[in-house]
Amino acid sequence: MNIISQVTDSAPKYIIYDFGILTSRIHEWLSSMMNTTWTSVVEMVLIGVVFLSFYALVGLILVYAERKVCAFIQCRLGPMRVGPWGIFQTIADFIKLLMKELLITRNADKFLFNVAPFIVIIASFLAIGTIPFAKGIQALDFNVGVLYLMSVSSLGVLGILLAGWASNNKYSLIGAMRSGAQIVSYELSVGLALMVVVIFAGSMQFSEIVQSQATGWWIWKGHIPVIIAFVIFMIASTAETNRGPFDLAEAESELTAGFHTEYSGIKFAFFFLAEYMNMFIIASIAATVFFGGWMPLHFGNFAAFNHAMDYIPPFVWFFSKTMFVIFLMMWFKWTFPRLRIDQLLTLEWKYLLPINLVNVVLAAFIVLMGWYLI
Amino acid sequence: MKEVLFYLFAGLLLLFSILTVSSRKILRAAVFLLFSLVLTAALYFLWDYLFMASVQLMLYAGGIMVLIVFSVLLTHNIDHKFDPMEFKKIIFSALLSLVGAVTVIYVILSHPFKTSALAAAPISPEDIGRGFLSYGENGYILPFEVISILLLAAMIGAIVIAKKTTK
Amino acid sequence: MNLQTFLLMRHEIILMIIILVMLAAEIFSDDKKNTYNLSIISIILFAIHTIIGYLPGEQGTLFGKMYINSELTVQMKNILNIGVLIVLLQASQWLRKPENEGKTTEFSLLIYSTLLGMYFMISSGNFLMLFIGLETATIPVATLAAYDKYRNQSSEAGIKLLLSSALSSGILLFGLSMIYAVAGTFYFEQISSNLATMSHTPALLALGMIFFIAGMAFKISLVPFHLWTADVYEGAPVPVTSYLSVVSKGASVFIFTIVLYTVFKSMLVLWTDAVIGIAVATMIIGNLFALRQKNMKRFLAFSSIAQAGFILLGTVAGSQFGMSTVLYFVLIYIFSNLAAFGVVSIISYSTGKESMNDYKGLYNTNPKLSLIMMLALFSLAGIPPVAGFFGKFFLFMASAEQGYYYFVLIAVLNTIISLYYYLLPVKAMFIDTNETPIEPLKSELLPKIALVLCVVGLLVIGFASPVFEYLKEISFGI
Repeated sequence: MNIISQVTDSAPKYIIYDFGILTSRIHEWLSSMMNTTWTSVVEMVLIGVVFLSFYALVGLILVYAERKVCAFIQCRLGPMRVGPWGIFQTIADFIKLLMKELLITRNADKFLFNVAPFIVIIASFLAIGTIPFAKGIQALDFNVGVLYLMSVSSLGVLGILLAGWASNNKYSLIGAMRSGAQIVSYELSVGLALMVVVIFAGSMQFSEIVQSQATGWWIWKGHIPVIIAFVIFMIASTAETNRGPFDLAEAESELTAGFHTEYSGIKFAFFFLAEYMNMFIIASIAATVFFGGWMPLHFGNFAAFNHAMDYIPPFVWFFSKTMFVIFLMMWFKWTFPRLRIDQLLTLEWKYLLPINLVNVVLAAFIVLMGWYLI
Repeated sequence: MKEVLFYLFAGLLLLFSILTVSSRKILRAAVFLLFSLVLTAALYFLWDYLFMASVQLMLYAGGIMVLIVFSVLLTHNIDHKFDPMEFKKIIFSALLSLVGAVTVIYVILSHPFKTSALAAAPISPEDIGRGFLSYGENGYILPFEVISILLLAAMIGAIVIAKKTTK
Repeated sequence: MNLQTFLLMRHEIILMIIILVMLAAEIFSDDKKNTYNLSIISIILFAIHTIIGYLPGEQGTLFGKMYINSELTVQMKNILNIGVLIVLLQASQWLRKPENEGKTTEFSLLIYSTLLGMYFMISSGNFLMLFIGLETATIPVATLAAYDKYRNQSSEAGIKLLLSSALSSGILLFGLSMIYAVAGTFYFEQISSNLATMSHTPALLALGMIFFIAGMAFKISLVPFHLWTADVYEGAPVPVTSYLSVVSKGASVFIFTIVLYTVFKSMLVLWTDAVIGIAVATMIIGNLFALRQKNMKRFLAFSSIAQAGFILLGTVAGSQFGMSTVLYFVLIYIFSNLAAFGVVSIISYSTGKESMNDYKGLYNTNPKLSLIMMLALFSLAGIPPVAGFFGKFFLFMASAEQGYYYFVLIAVLNTIISLYYYLLPVKAMFIDTNETPIEPLKSELLPKIALVLCVVGLLVIGFASPVFEYLKEISFGI
């Protein structure tokens, strides 16, 4: 299997790696063995398995990364005992979580209590399919990709609300209410910030948004409005994932652990994992939309440099950009003090949202006048 | 494949809809409603009606359901259960809805629907956007704008009801 | 599309400007005294708007026939404008009460928004616009009904109105989806032309039409879809009740008639039976319940249900004459019902009394109010010298002209029953004695203007034949 594509007239020169060929080969191979129905069943199962394992892997890495970054910022070493530099620490933690007893409070609503973690994790699962990891590696390439992503990421909050209610615990309930108010408000800013890039790219399809950045990433092609949008996106999406400094929903000093106080074992792990996955999704969206996704770094007319960059595989570009954004988010968390709930809502409704609306109009105006780099 | 998925989704949709109206705990009813709304979106996805599916998810599942759940959290206690209905009422309403359902289903099934000559293709968001903004025949700018008046009025009304007054 | 064509929408655009100006003024003024001035300004602006509505203008369609402007729709809007103006004048006294402090301007804002919804509903040439207009005309009214939020009854009225209107909207939408399934379009004109080509009416379309009628019947509060009416009318503040029972109802009747006459004109035989059935039930049940009411607001609520049944006499006719009688009757009904509500509201604000027994001996203490009330009730009952008689008489004529004799007979019998209960308050006011009658009341200027307007309307419109001639000229039949 040759994943280095033949350079054709239609495909731009700089795309060397095309995983679409790999996936279509697999599809052909499967189709030659069975009929269409079974092919799609097998493909669905395959994609599911790939994403599941990816999910677990990313979760483990991110938890480890967070602990190390946190330690670095606080001038500590972090986990060091399990494996070299403690790299197996999260695996050990995971095994511990698996073996813990699953507790339920007596008057809890058992059905909702058990359903809640699944809603949270399914919501992040639905979102991850839209992310383009490289050309041809994208499970769902909808023409309304950005809208779809926003819609499925708005589902997760329901799981949090239900978890808080079903636990029959005041801390859980307060945590859930805070988180609900927070996510519902900050969703607007996330959506509007993405809308700015949609206006520039002229499409809601993620693959097209990436393609439009072949000549340069939107963060500098789109200059002022996109930079404003990026800043707002980072603030709002940090809030949407319930991470510090917006982690009021699980403010340990006042609410024990917020909405997941009563959860233990693997159900707690679900919430935990979903939080890190949401962070990963947000970071990869930021990387895709603002930093060109899997597009390599190019500088104007430095042909040799650009060509050298093309040889670095796209998923390396993608993951390094994503990791950069994740590092930014971790940096926020361990640097800023936590906000109060009224400050949080003021920030959104009185500052971010009006700025964002003006910014969308500004972006539309700039696109109309053609005042951006092409 | 599509048929199997359709019947699966449709069956689940029916099941959850019935559970929604028959559940005696209010938040469970809300969750079943959420499931049926998400399944409706799933049906749209199945028919490649991506825009509608996303809007369905965003507005109903992510927007309205959050509001419903939120207001339930504010007003109700976890122990609260609705009183079971009287048996006579159950029978009466079941019969009534059965008659209604049978009539409607029979009439719909017996209607000779014309099949469209157009191929089912995903509608591009550009077309939808143009449809919203065009003012000629089959343009939707007027309803689009009038809805904003509706929302403005509803917002003013909600603020009037919610805001503190001297009493 | 150019600037000229926007003049076709002058009603909507002027009202929209008034809404935005009032909203901005409300936001940027927080002085308490200013809010009262603002409500006066808003009434003046609306009065100007009402007058502008009567200026002659062009006719035409906009937005690909989604918006239709004809002399008929203009006059319908003008009739509603008169009703809203009177309601606003009557409400000014209530709005100055201390518990309404801080929400005076919002009242007129909400009223204007719903009126705007009604405009779009009346002018719609498309079911989508009809539905959106209907919703705009209904949802804010629910918050108006809950305006006295510290009174449980008022909150209950708000939530009842909201829930029942949501249900009826659901039914209406289901019906519309069936109509769409058959006709393949939402435009009135295309639906009726598509239907004309069909050899027989599909059952699905008939079902859709029945759902449509049911949905509209909720809004007009026709039996058997009237169950929300009495509680909402009783719980809501009086100005809101009068608005609901007159303007909302009138607008819904208008568009109901228009749709039946245009979209479903090929199905005349089908819908006349349905509408006659509903009308008979509405008249009888409205009357029977009104007989037993002792609370004046509930009494007027049920009487307004019965009146809606009478209006359908004109709708059923399906002729040009029929439609003009509907318009004419609604115009008269606005004056008579608002006069009655005006008196009830003045008494209710000043003394808090709403029961019919409290009205005993009113003539001795408040002769003017009693006389106005008597005129209004006579008009509602249809007693000759006042306008109500002519309104009802024309309705009967329109129906009889088409040969619905039994229907007219039932209606006449119901009128006789209604005479009895309309005369009960009159008897209480003029004949019965009371040891503790309501004290002589002095009402403010604006409600007085409203009452004078109503009385003038009641006395003049019945005899001014040009009014009816004009309405007949602009109407259309099947």
